[in-house]
Amino acid sequence: MSEVTEMFSAPLTFNWTLSYRCNFTCDHCYSRDEECPELAFDDLKRIVDVLVEQQVPFINFGGGEPLIRHDLYEIAEYASKAGLNVSMNTNGWLLDEAAAQRLKDVGFKSVGISIDSSDPALHDSFRNMPGSYERALRGLDALHKVGLKSTMSSVISRINYQAFRELLDLARDHGVGQVYLHNFKCSGRGFKNREDLDLTPEEWQAFYLEALAVKHQTDDLKISFDDPVIASLPEYQEKTMVKGSSCGKLSLHLRPNGDITPCGFIPVVVGNILNDDFETIWFDSPVLKAMRNKEATGKCSGCAAFDDCQGGCTARAFATTGDFNQPDPHCWK
Amino acid sequence: MNKPLRNPEIVWRVENRRQTEVLKALETGEEIEDSGTVILLQSGMMHQLNLIGGLIWQQCDGQQSLTDIAGELAKEFTVEQSEVESDVAEFVADLTERGWLINE
Ligand code: SF4
Repeated sequence: MSEVTEMFSAPLTFNWTLSYRCNFTCDHCYSRDEECPELAFDDLKRIVDVLVEQQVPFINFGGGEPLIRHDLYEIAEYASKAGLNVSMNTNGWLLDEAAAQRLKDVGFKSVGISIDSSDPALHDSFRNMPGSYERALRGLDALHKVGLKSTMSSVISRINYQAFRELLDLARDHGVGQVYLHNFKCSGRGFKNREDLDLTPEEWQAFYLEALAVKHQTDDLKISFDDPVIASLPEYQEKTMVKGSSCGKLSLHLRPNGDITPCGFIPVVVGNILNDDFETIWFDSPVLKAMRNKEATGKCSGCAAFDDCQGGCTARAFATTGDFNQPDPHCWK
Repeated sequence: MNKPLRNPEIVWRVENRRQTEVLKALETGEEIEDSGTVILLQSGMMHQLNLIGGLIWQQCDGQQSLTDIAGELAKEFTVEQSEVESDVAEFVADLTERGWLINE
């Protein structure tokens, strides 16, 4: 047993893609070119039953655009009534006040909206959708109005890394309590547009140093990062539940057909939640074991930060080299 | 009457495999690391409760008094209720102070 499975009998979170369909075609999207059959409502309910049985406390709907599936409300209600804590990430296009109220009524605990730039024209062109900035803000305001907790997600890339403070101000202005500054993953369209969007390792280092300094001076807004390579910085003092990527350790991802992958950015199927025994997947999958027990390779061997950083983001290493153990291409060491 | 209730803001679960392992080890007298059998999650932080703490926590449903809880615990470990009463009171007081339990 690895340290992870000794402690956790199941993940804490399932990131659940109900559908890869979306009304947008964003430049950094990991899933635009994905195709996958979707499940009928009864099968979605069966999935929730498995999650309840396994005591998974959180599900977060992503996609694709979750609101594209009209039965999102019903499945969320079924899950929250069964005791699960339900949240989602949306582009906000379909989130008017009535939708926000309905999300609250069916038991959503929080809703995250993606905003990539505080410059409306830049956000719209990045998302290839005129008017999307206005709609995203309308979504945040609607959530605030109905009293449903909102978060803001921004994938850091070349278009916004120097203007992240403006994104934080935007969040403040629209009643958001928490901002996720996500790391750029190099999957799907993000991989194809990598040359244009990704920062150099040195730029990543400078960005994180700056963003951490801002985080330490900020107390009216929670600023969160999800990039394991940040743990190599002495300035990073957060106590995390696990070291390195949390995928396959604290969280797993569900594809629209019930296939399980370690995360949305690693397209390796470890089993199917409806057809396979979940505990066998969780405890015995060779892929999950490999992700939980990474071996320092290349420049990571001998790196003093390996204990904390674990080679950085496994999805990024895998996307660029096909090997979980290679150093994260964002690493500046 | 003091009937402790778990703070509903806290998400928690019993780590069943771990709990079974610890209980088994206890029976056979085997040494086992006294780490968490119940995990509590609160605003992105995780806390763990050991076997005894976890068993007390599971009973803090706002329906049972400290005496009831101590009684259950004494039964579980076949000891006198008076032997565990002060431990239960201390544990509940500590968690109440942290805001994890609410006294009804
Ligand atoms: S060399 Fe490897 S372990 Fe060291 S900071 Fe870079 S990715 Fe992390």
